Amino acid sequence: MSEKVKKMVKITVDDRTIEAEEGAILLQVLLENGFEIPYYCYHEALGPDGNCRMCMVEIEGKKRPQISCDTFVEEGLIVRTDTENIRRVRRGILELQLVNHPVDCPVCDQAGECSLQDYYMEYGLYHGKVPKAEKLHFEKHLDLGRNVMLDQERCVLCKRCVRFTGNIVKTGELGVVERADHSHIATLPGRKLENGYAMNVVDLCPVGALTSKDFRFKQRVWFLTSTPSVCHGCATGCAIYIDHAKTKFEDDTIYRFRPRKNPDINGHFICDEGRLSYKALQENRLREARAESSSIGFEEAAAQMKKMVESWQGRIVVLADANLYIEELEMVQIFANRIGGKLHAPLDAYRDPAFEDAWLKSAMRAANAKGVERLGIDTSMPSSRGEVLLINFNHPAAGDVKARRQIDLLTHRPETFADLTLPIAAWSETSGTLVNEAGIEQRCEQALFPNDPVPTLMTWLEAWDLGERCLV
Amino acid sequence: MGFAFTEENLRELEALAKRYPSKEALMLPALWKVMEQEGFISVEAMEAVAEWLGVSPMKVYGVVTFYEMFHEKPLGRHHIKVCRTLSCALCGQSGVLERLKERLGIEVGETTEDGRFTLSQVECLGSCGTAPVMQIDDTLYENLTPEKVDEILKELR
Repeated sequence: MSEKVKKMVKITVDDRTIEAEEGAILLQVLLENGFEIPYYCYHEALGPDGNCRMCMVEIEGKKRPQISCDTFVEEGLIVRTDTENIRRVRRGILELQLVNHPVDCPVCDQAGECSLQDYYMEYGLYHGKVPKAEKLHFEKHLDLGRNVMLDQERCVLCKRCVRFTGNIVKTGELGVVERADHSHIATLPGRKLENGYAMNVVDLCPVGALTSKDFRFKQRVWFLTSTPSVCHGCATGCAIYIDHAKTKFEDDTIYRFRPRKNPDINGHFICDEGRLSYKALQENRLREARAESSSIGFEEAAAQMKKMVESWQGRIVVLADANLYIEELEMVQIFANRIGGKLHAPLDAYRDPAFEDAWLKSAMRAANAKGVERLGIDTSMPSSRGEVLLINFNHPAAGDVKARRQIDLLTHRPETFADLTLPIAAWSETSGTLVNEAGIEQRCEQALFPNDPVPTLMTWLEAWDLGERCLV
Repeated sequence: MGFAFTEENLRELEALAKRYPSKEALMLPALWKVMEQEGFISVEAMEAVAEWLGVSPMKVYGVVTFYEMFHEKPLGRHHIKVCRTLSCALCGQSGVLERLKERLGIEVGETTEDGRFTLSQVECLGSCGTAPVMQIDDTLYENLTPEKVDEILKELR
């Protein structure tokens, strides 16, 4: 047993006593305790770099202000974060950061979530001494590939993107070239970003230098609502925010997925494929019920479903998507038992070894595969012998099961319609729990509230009166 | 178009390696060898150096662009470096530079069409007592006047 024992010590910050681990980074401790310290280059996942100089605090006994990202906690440290002098220092550093900044906030996508803007309002509020005509100019729209756009003029050279590509994904495509006030971020001539996690640099960038080609100019961030959820791209279950907005005359729309910090799963990051999966989620949705190819009302559809199930004499096979929430799966399980059907959730259909990597991407491309196993649901493909009624809850391989009659409950429009097809709410339009590959349970909140919602899976099953859980 | 160190250069670099704490620390000597061997540092050469040092090519590119003495493109046969720091600026550097531009018919950073001269401005050459100065290739020229520039250029033609 050589486990490191954390030694807790007491420090004083702005006359408040705080307990912190000895040797911890002071900036991180201050942030975790709710002190507002401005910073650009520090990031919990990337560590301190000490290049932006914004996180200055006063340490008793030290002559000059110190950067808190390079100060380590020790017993009896006395720190002041908000003195007249500190505010003056921060203001001075901010002014230097903005010397060559184009101040093009009205057309900048970062506006509203930009550290430069925030700190300017907090510490700046001066009139720039450098006339706009004398500012240095660099490339304003460099396509770095992988949906990342670079505006070199807006950059504060915090090097978070450089450290991400160099230390985290270790592909090292980005670097700082030239010198002094000609320094800028660049790639090797003729090269671009070439890793499947590149779009994380957009989140890491504290200013508007790196923006997402996919998101830019689509929506102002102050119109967005962020709802905590979980990516359904694979069984890793990266925590995300669904950023969505319901603007005037428009329906509730997802504009982007952003990683949400979860130290046990994805840390601060997600893969690009997961990030962009919001598109497929809201494209080509099924919104009406169909009896074969003709459109029918929801009430009639519910009645037809009940009739079809109850009048069926042969075998019943129920298929469940391994992306359904555990609450939904449980209900489907109860439903299958009630109608005497055999429930399957075949997992082979989700296996995609080509997608897998050593970091966040899992070959099991179903968000709740573990949940399926936990509920003891049969994960094999059902046999199609005899006369079968197939009730399919959004499983992608339903077409491989031969059935005499088929009821589909789908989130997206199928290529061909079954005997009865009912639309169900997608995971962004309902809430529930997922169990990821490592067995970690995560809650997904309902993000979207469409103007004309389609019924949830639970709603369709209400006709069977399966109990309280229907109301989840 | 690939790049490879000559065997002799590689031997010399390997010998130098003993003096440095890590292989990465050999970046500058390695880039100097490329300059000696090729006259400039191409992207292929940066990649080769990066591989030899075990760092990312981007890191080498950053170093190459940081230092004035490394060039990414071939230079003229003679490289004229005019000092632009304070003492030279006060002692008439601008007249010297103007004469050079006029004679060579190029701007700073350009190379003459016949490939003979490349004109650059550099920071302090460490010879403020004899300002204004310029360095052509490895020779320092001191106490310059526009007239002296004419004579020097004549010798080099």
